[in-house]
Parts: sequence; C-alpha cells; structure tokens
Amino acid sequence: MKKLLPLILLVPCIAFGANSHQKARVATRTKTGTSLNVPNAAAIKGVVKDETGTPLAGVTVAIKGTNTGTQTDVNGAFTLNAKPGDVLSISYIGYTSKQITLGSETILTITISSNTKSLNEVVVTALGVKRSEKSLVYANQLVKGDELTAVKTDNLMNSLNGKVAGVDISPSTSGPGGSVKVILRGSKSATGTNQPLYVIDGVPMTNTSNYNGQPNSTYGGSPDGGDGISNLNPDDIESITVLEGASAAALYGSQAANGVILVTTKKGKEGTATINLSSSYTNNTISYKPDFQNEYGVTVDPTTHLKGTTSWGDKLSSPVVEDNLSDFYRSGNNFTNSVSLSAGSELAQSYFSYANTMANGVDPGDNLKRNNFTFRETGEFLNKKLIVDVNTNYINQKIMDAPGEGFYYNALTGLYLYPRGQSITPYKQNYEVFDPTRNLNEQNWDANEDIQQNPWWIVNRNPNFTNRDRLIVNSTAKYTVNDWLNFQIRGNVDRVADSYQQNDYATTNAVLSPSVSLHPPAPPLSNGSFTMNQQTLTQIYSDFIANFKIPLKGDFKVDGLVGASITDDNTVGEAYGAGLGLYIPNIFVEQNVVTSNGLASASSNVSTLPSNHSQIQSLFGSVNLSFKNWAYLTVTERNDWSSTLSFTPNDSYSYPSVGLSLILSDMTKLPDVITYAKIRGSYAEVATPVSQYTTNPINSFGNAGSVTFNSVYPNPLLKPTNTKSKEAGLDLRLLDNRLTYSFTWYKSNSYNQFIQYTPPASTGYTTGYLNAGNIQNTGIEMLLGFDAVKSSAFRWNTNLNYSFNHNKIIELNPADPTTPVVLTGFGNNAYESVLATGGQYGDIYGYTFQRNAKGQIELSSTGAPIQNSTAKLLGNPNPKFQIGWGNSFDYKHFSLSFLVDGKFGGQVLSMTQMLLDSYGVSAASGAARDAGGVVVNGVDPSGKTVTKTDAYAWYSTVGNRGGIGEAYMYSATVVRLRSATLGYTWPISNSAIKSLKLSLIGSNLIYFYKKAPYDPEVTMSTGNGLGGVDVFNAPSTRNVGASLDVTF
Amino acid sequence: MKKINFLRYNSTIIRTFCKCALVVVGLFVLSGCTKNFQNMNTNNTGILDSQLIPNHNSIGLYYPGMQQNIFGEENDYQLIQNLNSDCYAGYYMSPNPFRGNINNQDYSLVDGWNSDIYTVYYTRIMGVVQTIEKKGTRTSTPDFWAIALMLQVQAMSRVTDYYGPIPYSKVGQGATTPYDSQQSVYNQFFTQLDTVVTTLEAYTKANPGAEPFANFDMIYAGNYTEWIKYANSLRLRLAMHIVNIDPITAKAQALKAINDPGGLITVNTDNAGITGFGYHNPIWLIGTSWTDLAVNASLTSYLNGYKDPRESQMISPATSPSSIAGQYVGIRSGTPVSAKPGYNGYSLPNFNNTAQYTPMYLMVASEVWFLKAEAALRGWTTESAQTDYETGINTSMSQWGVSAGSYLTDNTSTEADYVDPQTPSTTAPNASIKAVSTITIAWDAAATPEKNLERIITQKWIAMFPTGGWEAWTEYRRTGYPRLFPVVVNNSGGDISTDLQIRRIQYPSTEYTGNAAGVAQGVQLLGGPDKGGTPVWWDTNKGQATPKNF
Repeated sequence: MKKLLPLILLVPCIAFGANSHQKARVATRTKTGTSLNVPNAAAIKGVVKDETGTPLAGVTVAIKGTNTGTQTDVNGAFTLNAKPGDVLSISYIGYTSKQITLGSETILTITISSNTKSLNEVVVTALGVKRSEKSLVYANQLVKGDELTAVKTDNLMNSLNGKVAGVDISPSTSGPGGSVKVILRGSKSATGTNQPLYVIDGVPMTNTSNYNGQPNSTYGGSPDGGDGISNLNPDDIESITVLEGASAAALYGSQAANGVILVTTKKGKEGTATINLSSSYTNNTISYKPDFQNEYGVTVDPTTHLKGTTSWGDKLSSPVVEDNLSDFYRSGNNFTNSVSLSAGSELAQSYFSYANTMANGVDPGDNLKRNNFTFRETGEFLNKKLIVDVNTNYINQKIMDAPGEGFYYNALTGLYLYPRGQSITPYKQNYEVFDPTRNLNEQNWDANEDIQQNPWWIVNRNPNFTNRDRLIVNSTAKYTVNDWLNFQIRGNVDRVADSYQQNDYATTNAVLSPSVSLHPPAPPLSNGSFTMNQQTLTQIYSDFIANFKIPLKGDFKVDGLVGASITDDNTVGEAYGAGLGLYIPNIFVEQNVVTSNGLASASSNVSTLPSNHSQIQSLFGSVNLSFKNWAYLTVTERNDWSSTLSFTPNDSYSYPSVGLSLILSDMTKLPDVITYAKIRGSYAEVATPVSQYTTNPINSFGNAGSVTFNSVYPNPLLKPTNTKSKEAGLDLRLLDNRLTYSFTWYKSNSYNQFIQYTPPASTGYTTGYLNAGNIQNTGIEMLLGFDAVKSSAFRWNTNLNYSFNHNKIIELNPADPTTPVVLTGFGNNAYESVLATGGQYGDIYGYTFQRNAKGQIELSSTGAPIQNSTAKLLGNPNPKFQIGWGNSFDYKHFSLSFLVDGKFGGQVLSMTQMLLDSYGVSAASGAARDAGGVVVNGVDPSGKTVTKTDAYAWYSTVGNRGGIGEAYMYSATVVRLRSATLGYTWPISNSAIKSLKLSLIGSNLIYFYKKAPYDPEVTMSTGNGLGGVDVFNAPSTRNVGASLDVTF
Repeated sequence: MKKINFLRYNSTIIRTFCKCALVVVGLFVLSGCTKNFQNMNTNNTGILDSQLIPNHNSIGLYYPGMQQNIFGEENDYQLIQNLNSDCYAGYYMSPNPFRGNINNQDYSLVDGWNSDIYTVYYTRIMGVVQTIEKKGTRTSTPDFWAIALMLQVQAMSRVTDYYGPIPYSKVGQGATTPYDSQQSVYNQFFTQLDTVVTTLEAYTKANPGAEPFANFDMIYAGNYTEWIKYANSLRLRLAMHIVNIDPITAKAQALKAINDPGGLITVNTDNAGITGFGYHNPIWLIGTSWTDLAVNASLTSYLNGYKDPRESQMISPATSPSSIAGQYVGIRSGTPVSAKPGYNGYSLPNFNNTAQYTPMYLMVASEVWFLKAEAALRGWTTESAQTDYETGINTSMSQWGVSAGSYLTDNTSTEADYVDPQTPSTTAPNASIKAVSTITIAWDAAATPEKNLERIITQKWIAMFPTGGWEAWTEYRRTGYPRLFPVVVNNSGGDISTDLQIRRIQYPSTEYTGNAAGVAQGVQLLGGPDKGGTPVWWDTNKGQATPKNF
C-alpha cells in the first residue's frame, strides 16, 4: 500500500494536466457559440416544460457530439444555433433526459417528464457508486442543494434539521462556526463517536474539530472546537443523501457504523456556461430571555453593610426594572456571498466557486469570517474511456471571541446573576478600572467567584482567536475497459491546520488565569495568562475499485465491485502555556509564559501533543444479483486492518451485509392506484476499532522531568465493537406518483463496547479497558409526500416525516453491572450524564428531595429541603419521536415554503435556572417572596406538615450548583416554525440574465410549544456528554433576512 | 469464429483483471502493510521503559512520584487528607459547600473521594514498589530497596489507620487480593523497618558519605543517616499507635526505636518534609488558588485559649464578616456552609509560612519528643516525661520561629469557647459551642498519667499542624485527645455517632466490584460493619466519653 500512495498522489497532476488542456477547449467553444464558422446553422428557439405545462428554468439543452449548448431561462426558453439533423439532448436533474433530432422546425416546445415516473432514478451510494433506486435494499433520503441554501445557517447541517426522518440534529451554543451534533437512529457507542461519517463525492471526510474539542464538564472553558462539515460552502453542494442505517454503509467500514451523510458537490455541466451569484443576509436576535424579578435588591451583610453577590436583599421601595440583557446582547447577522462559474464541453467541465461568509454572533465581539475556494475539473481522455476528476477546496476560517460554554469564560453568568434593582451600565462602560498600586487596569466586578466575571471583561479582556486553514484535494481516475468492466482509483488529501489562542488579561479570575509567585513569599500576582495550541490533521484516503457487470443472458443479472482502500489519519500539534501565567502582565507571547508556577497539574509551558496516527486498510467486495428487474439481492463483505488494534491478535476483522428488495409493482399486477411498491430488508454488521494507544499503554511525562509510570492495565485481547443491525421497509407511490410513502423499521445492537473500568486499586492499576455490553436502538421512520395541488398556475406540495427511536442499554460491563459508564461527571455540580444498565443513552442523574413515607419533602429546621445524598435517575434528554412538516407553494412567480418541526418527549435539566433561583434573581424567587414563601408539601424535623417554606432557605438549597436537580427537570418537547421563505422570481429573460430570484427568509421563527426555560434542542457539547443540560447556554436566535440569487 | 473471438477477447480482459487484482492483493500482503501499525499505535510523547536506562532513571524516577504521592498533589491531597482526616483532626474545614454540604466533613462519606485513597496508595506506591522489586532492585541496589520499603511503610501505615484491615502482603499477586488483619499489617511494618534500618546502616558503614539516591530524594538530599533517623522515628510512632491493644509489642518496638544507634529525629533540621521536583505545597494551593480551605474551629479555640505564640505564624486572622475580622476564627466541622456570603473570610493558614514550596512534613522533631514523653510517662524509659514534653513544645516553637515565653508555665489557660457569628442567623443548628477541654499547658507532675497524656497529645496535636492531620486523627482516635468539637450536622444517616465521632473510613466501592472476596474478608477481619462508626483494631477507646489509656 505504501507503494500505491505515490501513485495516487500522481493523479492530481494528471488531472491538472487535463485542466490546461481544457482551457483551450473552452475558448474554442465560445467561438463556436457565435456560430460564425457553422454556415448551415440557424437560430432555433424553444421552450422546455414539464408534464403539467410549467416552464422549467435551468434545463440543459445541448447538441449531441458538439460543444454547443445552453440552459433555459426562467421562462423555460432557450435559443441555440443548430441545423437540421442535429440531435438535441435535453437534461435536467430529476427528469428523464430526452433526445430530439431536429427537423426543419425552428420553434420547439419540448416536454420532459419527471423521472419519478420512470422509477429508474439513479442514487449515489457507498463509494460514490451510482445505482438504481429500485435495487437499493435500505432506506435513503435525498436533500437537494437548493433546500440547503434556501435559508442559510451557520452550519449547513442545521439546514437539514426537521427535513430528514431518523436524524436528530442539535446545534451547539457557541455562535457562528459552532459544531452540530448529528445522531442517526440513536447513539450506539459508549465511548467512541456517535456522529455519522461524512463522505464528499465518495471519499470520507474528516469532521475534525480543533484541539479544544468539546467541553466535557459543566464548567466548560474553552469554546467549541468547531467541526469539519460546517467549513463547506453550501452553494457548492448538489445534494445530500442520508444513509441512516449501517447496511447502507457496510462498504465504508468502521467509521460508517453510525450512518453516512453523502455530500455530492457540483461540477461543471456539459454544454453550458453559467455564472451564479448568490447573496444572503440574515439578522439574528435572541429568541427568549430568562424571567427576572425586579422587586428585591442585593443582599447586604447585616453587620458589615457590604453588598453581597446575590439578590436576597430587602424589598425595593419601588421596583427598578433593569433589562441588563439588552445592554449586552446585540443583533447578530450572517452575510454570505458566493459566486460560481460553471462551464463545460463534452470532454471537459470546469466549476469554480468562491464564497465569503461574515457572521456576527449576538454576543458582542463574536464574529466569523470564512472564505471558500473551490475548483473542480473533469476531463475525458482516450476516447472517453478515461475520466479524470479533480476537486480542490481551500477554506480559511477565522473566529474571534467565540462565547464560552458552561460556567467558565461565559459572559452570561455574570450578566444574569448580577444583583437586581441596580444598573449594570457602569460595569459595561468601565469593565476595568485603574489600580494605582499595581499601575494597571484591573477588572471591575464585585463578585469574586470562579463562575462569574464582568461580562464585558470576558468579551474584551479574555478574547479568543480560532483560525483554520484547510485544503482538500480529491482526485479520481476512472478507466472504462468495456461495457462490463471499469477501474477506478481515487486519492484524497484533507489537511486541516488549526490554531487557537486565548489571552487572559491580568486580574482575570484566579481559577481561570493562575496567579504567579514570582518572588515567594511575596503574594502571587495575577499577571494574566496565555494559552495557545496548534494542530494539523492530515487525512489521506485512497482506494482502488473494480466495477464489473457480468454479461449474462436471461433474467438474471450480476454486477458488483471489489476494491481496496487505505485511510491514514495523522494529527500533530503543540500546546503552550495552559494553566500557567505570565511574567510581565498582558504580553501574550510565548517567551512571557512562566516555566512553572507550581500550580495545578500544569507541568510545562510547551508540550508536544501526541501524534494521533492511525490507519485502516481494507479489502471489500459487493455483489448484486437481480432477477427480472424486480428482485435484487446485495451481498457485501469487508475486511479491515486497524492500527489501533495492533499489539492484539484482533487487528484484522471482517464483517458482512446482505439485503433484498422486491418491486411488487413489477412482480405482479397491483391495483391501478398503486404506481409503485417496493419492499426491502437487510442485515449488516459493522466493526469499530478501539481508541488509539489503548492496546499499548506506556509511561508519560509528569511535572518537571518526573515520569508518570503507566497505570493502565494492559489488555492484550481488546477487540472491535460490533454493531449488528436489521432493517425492513416499504416504499409506495400512489395516485400516479402524487402520493409517496416510505416506511422503515430498524433494530441495531452494538456489542463489545469499548468500556473503561476501574480495576481494584490493589492491582496497582487505576484504569482498564475491556469489551463488553450491548446497546440497542429500535425505531421506525416514515415519510409521506403529497402533491396536493398540481396545476400549471398553482402547486402545493406537502410532506411529513416521522421518526421514533428507542435506545436501551441492555448490558455494560457484566462483571460490574451497577457501575455506569459516566459521560459527564458531577464535578461537584448537579448534573451527571451516564449509561446505566437498563437505562438509555445519556440518562441524566442528579439529586432528589428526601421524602418521608407519605411522599412529603423533608425540611430542615430552617425550612430548607433535605437533599438525598445519592444521585438518582432524573430523565433522559433524547426525543422519543420527531415530526417534520414541510410545505411549498408555487403561484406564478411566487413561491412560499415553510417547515414546522417538533421533537417530542425527553427531559432536560436547567442549571441556569438553578443558579438564577439560588442567587435570587429569578422571577420565581421574587414571586415566592411576594407570596410569603414557597408552597410545599413538606414536613419539618418534628414531623409536622409544612405547606409553605422560606423562599431563601428553599431556593438557596435546591438551586445550589450541587443542588436538587429534580426540581429543575423540564420537558424537552419543542415545536417550532423552523424556517420559512417567500420568493419572487423576476419574469425577465435577456441575454445577460438568465434568472433572478429574491427571497425573504427566516429560521427558528416561532416556538409553538416550549416548556423549558431554554431551547432544549441546543446542546452544550456535540460529543457524547452534556446532553440535555443548560449551563448558561447562549439563547437560540431568531433569524430573519433576504437572499438574492442571480444566474447569468 | 465469432464465438472464439469473444472468448479470446474475454480471456484478455479476465487476465488483465486478475493481474490488477493480484497487484492490489500483493501490495497488501507483500509490503507487510500492517508492519508499522505497532509504531503508529505507540504514543510518541510517552516514554518506553527502554528509554529510561540512562542515569538509573529506570529505577530512580519512580521515587519522586512515590514520595510526593504520600501526600499527593493538591487534588489528591484534598480528597485523601484535607476533606477527610484534616477535618476529623480539627485542623481544617472547607468553606466550600461540596456536594451541597453532604460530604465527608459531615460524615456522609463520598465514595469517589475515598476511592482516591486506594488509587493513590496502591497504584502510585504499592504498585510502584513492586515494579521496583521486579527490576531486581532488592539485590542490585539494596539501599534503593530500603528507601522503597521505607516509603511503603510510611504510606501504607496511613492507609491501614484509615481503614483497618487492608490488602498488604498479597498485593499484586492475583486477580483478587486478600486482606491482612491490621495486626498482621503492623507486624509486617516492623519487620520491614528492620530491613530498612539494617540495610541503610550497613550501606553507610561500607560507603561512608556516598549519596547515590541524591538525584531522586525529595526529603534528605540523599543523606542515608537522616533516613535511618526517620525510620526509627516512624517505628516509634507506629509502636505507640498499638499501645492500648498490644502493649508488649508496642513497648518492645518503641524501645528498639529509641535505643537504635542510628538515632531519632530530634532537631528541626532532621524533619522529614517533601519538597523539590516541582512539588508544591498543596495546602498553599488549595487555600490560595482554590479558596477551598479554612482552619477548624477546634484549632482556633485551643490557640486562642492558650494565647499560643505560634498562632500568628500558623494561621492568619479572619477577614469577614466584620464582627470577627482580625480575630482568629475557624469553621466548625460539619457546618452547613452554603449560606452567602459564606465562610470565605474565616481564618486561613498563614501563607507566608505555608508557602508555595514549603515542605510537606511527614514527621517533625517535636512529634518525636512528644512520643518520647509518652514512652517516659508509661515508664518504658528513664527519661523525664516533663523534659521531653517541654523539649517538644520548645522544638515546635523554634520550628515556627517564636519563643515559648511563659507558655510552659501557664497552668490556667484552657481551650476557648467558640462563637460562630454566622449562626444561628442563617443556618441552624447553632455552630457556636462551649469549650470541650479543660486541659492546661504546664506540666503537672501531680496529675494523673491520663491527665498528662492529654497534655502531651494536645500539644503534639498543635505541633503537628499544618500537615499532620492524618496522624493527628489517628492519635485522636487512639487516645481521645485533644478533646474536639463534634460535627455541627451529621449526615451519616446513623452510621456514625456525633458524640463518639468518626472512627474510620469505608472501603471504596471499587473493592466491592473488583475484589469482592477480598473485601468481604477485610470486613470480617474488621469485626464490625464497613461503616465510619466501626473502630479499627488499635482503637480501644472507641470515642468513649472518658478515655482510658492506662
């Protein structure tokens, strides 16, 4: 394989060669376009319409065998120079291509029909292989590019939210550039990733974040590290296909156990030259605020008369309504502009695009700038036997001041907890004040707590900078030997260079930015601190595939592929300064980082990050057997060799899949109402290797040159996790295709989970790893589409998707069934997220009220509720079922579409509300004081029933950071108007402009139902932990704007 | 004809196809694709054992880690000592309401905290000693081996005093680890200390002045004669622990320690303190950076009542609330501290003296003088108990840089009452409490041995602050002294008596899940339920109202 790599890397060179060749051809074509050297040609005019008579814009009309071609304008009209006898080729996505031989007529009306009728729709499947929809043995859902770009969002995956059944999408709370959590058919892995594999044009893409990754505790800290999919330019995307099940992905191997999202990008089209400009602007405002009280002021110490940090003070003589939030939040916006140029002849096609995104978050200072460049060239050689396709993407993304998540570095803690009845404005204007003793500006904030600082200090004096430079080069060479055999070789390099920097100015809170004892015993000084990390990931993927179609006569047909692939991931990097401090205040240069401050476990001001080098090599094959075009059997087998299982005998492992589909409508005569009926079923296994380095634990560096000797119990028999999944489904098209219905049932069990356990300490080891367990997901997915009205003037399409998933942890470590796998530990706070045997993935554990036998809450003598000391199950945040309802209306030049979606069931914990209550700033804490206490069904220590208890005693206990989570569980059900667009297409047609469309767009517009005090869909982490918890999560935004789309 | 052509054509294709397939398969098989896998799957920032051969690092580098893990770094120290025995000994109490004030400090024992004790001592000390042994150190470098055994005894004596029976003789020998009775563990300690002392005495005799351990020594910079003194002093301490349960062994071992020609720790320059190798004082860090500790009301009540000259050196005055600002006021154990603005302004250790790199003392000379005073009081030696007692106080005074003044003759001062200005106004029950001790400072030859023992232990308790909480809690349980305030709130659910106070720590749940047979045997050896109220083997006083030590 080593020898294969240089060969693959040659492919881009060949492809660029094709590109230079192509330039000359484009020039020639322009000349032919003027028709000067084609004496017999005459201008042919025509209109292309669909079967209902509606004109179709953007249809490609080309003269076969030449470089001449054009696209229809907004009225479906085209003009082309052609001569009688020429064959016109008319093609349009979603429609059956048509060829017309020209006679003497010069004005044509061409009708093309949507290819749903033909049912020979071609679907892109694993490895970029195109197959007929009929032959697929599993469910797949297609989302076209224009659906993704109609309402642009910060991360293009957010645009899929609500549109696809069986997909649970949770955006992170970290503003523009934040990552998205995507779960297909439930979480399956206890410790590995549960996110799907992203595949661009048949090649797996790394969805890497920067070194910060995701927060792993409620404290949070560094901002979200972003993800890979958000870097892409949505305008480059032709379509996205979601393959939820494992069987769809058996050919992708390990990474595909959680499903695959196939992204097909645009390429130049044969016979056309178009320029597309797209511009979109949205204005973003926070869509909800916490409820505050305005009657009671700051707590004042009765003896010192000093102001405290809470709002349990006296009743104000007159309520002072201060909207501190409006002083802080601003209108965010997202301004995306892109241009794409596409041109192509029969032999070579070019596509170039540039997109610029400028986004400002609602947190002041937070902004994102992204530039995407794409250049794709496709060339055909050797009498079209060799096709070379090279796609190059360069992405640069800079994010400044991404908001912190959790308690640390989060401006919202200080903003929300600031005592009521007084204006925060002075702290906004003077977030720092001059300290003559130190001769520097120091933070101006009353509360000295690790969880809160002056919000504007965080914005201005704890800035962070994230930069990403990414280059993706993907090249494919495909050689067609004959009509039953072709070879394809593919190489892809994805190089992601990330850097992150955080500057903490002097007098930042000591827990976040350590003080330095430069001259002990002189007291330590807060000089600020500087954290930086740089990381470069290089993923090299390459494969070789032979596709064959055995020429058989008769009713049986056999085709398939065999291939080999290699995926090599290597991450190298360095980190500086974490947890240390500075010699000279406020100079953020590495030389200024102290070498050791004797604090915490920070050992060194510079550290080499472990080079995460892993490799998977694979051999795979797939055979499809069909009978009479109504029965299809697919069998696949794959063998992987994984470097992460080296040192064990299990580094080579294989897994199969098998599936069958039957086209009932072709098998037998069905009632006329049924146009098409298909049933399908499949079984698949996917094996996922263990984490890196776990099979060979070694010693590491500790403080100041000391060695931390290995404490991991070496397990030489680790093996991969094995997911076995079954699915069955039905696809129906009724009423002449106007009504479509699809149903899928699935069940997956993931065995041999990679589980960390604690060996008895008397073994001398602190950590061990083993394979055990069984996590099950069962569910159904349904899709219903209906062309309710289909006249030439007015069309209404409505569609509904429904999905239900039930997750069950059947078994974890059988030797220790009562110890859960902890996803997020308590860390002294009120929230824990675990996998417990018999429970569900991500169950929330927390503390409950201590109750007597009659169920009454036991109160202490002060009236505070007594907290159970052991944590109990409080709920599970995952939705039970999801429904999306999309509608689109077209009337003449207007189009209107909207999407309503709901996630139903599940519970979430709001630690924000806990703290607002315990600090006495919440409306609830005010109302309780007004009412003379909190109404309870309680009992005092003497056993006397209590109906009302002191508000302070109550809230300061239940709302404590380690308080009673039971009281803060909320329904996670949320139903919203996800998006709406109103578009107008100008009825213009001239030589310069082919189409012009202006749309009003909006997203996250209305909450029809939301009981939690925050948007329960957003997540603090897109990793496995921190599900369903609100720790001062930034509010979701309501986004309204406009977009303009022009094609030349 | 046509058919033949087709076949020929086909066979060419098939041959081409087969060749390609062979090339692909061959690339996998012939180039040994997976031969770099082990290299890839080895952490490049880690250290292989083979890389540690230079400078004897492969053995020596285990020692700094072992030494600093006797106390642990700040997070471990906090869990294993500061929120545990430091509190039970009346030294510290956290102003931070950990787990909503439901934690070890009010007798709701947190398994995650107590598990850390096993983790630290078994994985970072016992396990490491075994690794050192497996490398042949016992015979190749017996002096290094002696230090390893010494550190093991020092560390594991802390563990057995927390729990009672523990895995000791059979550690690392199988999947389940049997427990040893505490008596057996103590006997092994004494035997191992014999090895330590004889080995080091033989080495120093054979190699005078040689300091091969200097590169790895966080305590005595490689000076083995100091290690011998430390070993003898530790033997004396352990001997005294068992005096009520096994007086014969106790006396024999104590006399062995006192009479050993290598001597005891008697002056402050002999003090065994952990420092260097980047190790920082965890009390300083927890107190300054995390603001997670304050001193205990018991400590301030004695120091205030005794008008102790060491007070201002040991601790700093409270800063808030204003009613106590400038006074020395600690927090009583088990105070529900959630009320805002909280207990953050209460007295702290004096961080000028407990600073960033101040050594963490495992044993100080004053403790040894008080042990000798007790030995004399028991009539084991002919020394004057009073002289030893007063030398102990003076040694402690000089450790803190103050002079005793009239302290030694003060026969009236007793522990002061404790008033918590924040109760009962915000939380109940009232943390304020009357003094629980009437013991005075000056030696009283006419007093009963029991009274003078209380005097010795009370002064030893003051002298072992700020790092000796572990030993102070052991001595409190053994002797019943000094008299300490009970917890304000008891959340043990009846497992631990407020009056008798906590007697031990529960075994971690990881033992029940991973070593069930072993821990079951441990509980059987303990002779009572695995709860905080069950006394360990040497604990004959069991917290009774009138301690009986004679």
